[in-house]
Amino acid sequence: MGSVMLEIKDLWVEIEGRSILKGVNLVVGEGEVHILFGPNGSGKSTLLSSVSGLPGYRIVKGSIRFRGERIDGFRPDEIAKRGVGLAFQRPPAIKGVKLDTFIQAIANVSDCAPLYRELELDYLKDRDLNAGFSGGELKRSEMLKVAVQAPELVMLDEPESGVDLEHIAVISGAINKLLEKDSPCSDRSRSGLIITHTGYILDYVKADRGHVFIGGRIVCTDDPLEIFHEIQKRGYEGCVHRLGQQTIGDVS
Amino acid sequence: MSNRVQLTLEERKGLERVGYDEQQERSGTFLAADHRVLEAKPFSDQVEILPVALAIREYDWVHDLVFGLVDPDKDEYTRMVKKQMEPLGYFIRVKEGQEVILPLQTCFYIRTDQTTQMTHNIIVAEPGSTLHLISGCVADAHVDKGRHLGVTEYYIGEGATVTTTMIHSWGPNVTVYPRAAAHVKKGGRFISNYVVMSPVKHIQMAPEAVVEEGGLAEFYSIVYAPEGSSLDIGGTIRLKGEQARCEIVSRVVSDGGKVITRGCIVGEVDGVQGTMACNGLLVNPRGSIHAIPELEGKSPLVLLSHEASVGMISQDELSYLMASGLSEERARELIIQGFLDVRIKGLPEALHKTIAEMIKKAKAGEAV
Repeated sequence: MGSVMLEIKDLWVEIEGRSILKGVNLVVGEGEVHILFGPNGSGKSTLLSSVSGLPGYRIVKGSIRFRGERIDGFRPDEIAKRGVGLAFQRPPAIKGVKLDTFIQAIANVSDCAPLYRELELDYLKDRDLNAGFSGGELKRSEMLKVAVQAPELVMLDEPESGVDLEHIAVISGAINKLLEKDSPCSDRSRSGLIITHTGYILDYVKADRGHVFIGGRIVCTDDPLEIFHEIQKRGYEGCVHRLGQQTIGDVS
Repeated sequence: MSNRVQLTLEERKGLERVGYDEQQERSGTFLAADHRVLEAKPFSDQVEILPVALAIREYDWVHDLVFGLVDPDKDEYTRMVKKQMEPLGYFIRVKEGQEVILPLQTCFYIRTDQTTQMTHNIIVAEPGSTLHLISGCVADAHVDKGRHLGVTEYYIGEGATVTTTMIHSWGPNVTVYPRAAAHVKKGGRFISNYVVMSPVKHIQMAPEAVVEEGGLAEFYSIVYAPEGSSLDIGGTIRLKGEQARCEIVSRVVSDGGKVITRGCIVGEVDGVQGTMACNGLLVNPRGSIHAIPELEGKSPLVLLSHEASVGMISQDELSYLMASGLSEERARELIIQGFLDVRIKGLPEALHKTIAEMIKKAKAGEAV
């Protein structure tokens, strides 16, 4: 592994007084793509939201470092400005704000037009942001959002859920492009942290590592395809038994 | 078309912010400063524009239209307007069947401190005609104290359409009491947009429209109220003829200002439809928004509905924008701009663009 992009140490997070993350350890190296698996409520989305500094996620213990700098406690915009992008699982609708107004306001790329085309979103440019978008449209517009931000760490929360097969390929194409998957490993500078519920994304995006979340902790780390197949065969718990619980040291 | 009227560059800029723009193509123009008409000119033979005092002298029938829709004894302000020796204001007429594409601009300007400007306007859209009005009201930056009392009466003939977009940019020490009424005849349409983006000491207004068979009335209010502003705005629409329809929409942002938004729809006969949406956004805890939607059905087969909401900026929306890299200030600005971006139905695209541009200008220099 090259230099470390994201380093999470013994992270404990509460939401409204309820403990959700209970000692998460994770290291994502530069150019790596990690996949997070786990049942609903296991803490995957909470982890991404905590990294992004969203309010309501109270870090009670532990640390988050991005490129060596401690970012826990930073505002979401400070974290985003440092190069962290998050595609939300369920983005809020913002009435009156056109998709394109938003995209132009956040874009760090000089020309957004090719990305609109690639994600087949031109027709939504003048629509209110996320208002009345279908499941697939939401995921594609979130992908567009992250793509124009051009972050160093790309975090995607279930990018394929609710998307038809044809558009999974479109989204996956955009993910691969953003994560520079066509370049040799040594040339890739962006890292990814992707939550998947269906695993479909694994057919298109080559990931380096997979982690299984259960009860607010990472309980298993292995090859993502291996994990996915075990989950399909034996469920999450079975997968952990089969592949074995990992120690903190193994996770990195 | 430049420099028709003697105005300083600063004055011209102030007037442009409320839509009075000598560089833009218009079908006609009217400008009054303090108590004097500076300009009343049509640029198209489809419309007639005269100072109202002159129109009263010229046409016998105009006299009957004066206070034909607004009760002169409605309140102390209408009484004051009635008492004027010679009314100040405009008379605009579009002849039968004429469709005036370009907007016609009117502007009332308080130039001198301590002025009480009283106006009376008459608009006549003859059957089958179309008129788009852009009405600006502005006080000079040096005006410390001022007052504007205005009566406006719209006579909308059968199948005629009048849209009016009024932009107010007064000042923190100006009080304003407009009184407007419209009579929409069979199949006519009246669309009234009201925009306030700058500080004003107090505005109190409640236009009224009576809609006959198959007619339509729509009132849209877009208000940004900074601290120190007090606004009591609203409108009443009476649906008097079968198949008459109406919509009242208000979007209010209070950044410390006190705002009351009223809306009242009265369904007088069967088969009428009316909807109302009063939405308020409080962005400053010192402000207040009081939404008072009222519906009154006087016949069993009326269809009237309303929705009202008052709240702060959603934390979810704010976090979402900030997690995309926008500062909190920029994220709030975007949400507020979006909230105030009301798409008015039934307007030509060119007018949409003009209005959007005007709103943008009206916002310039303000917190939004």
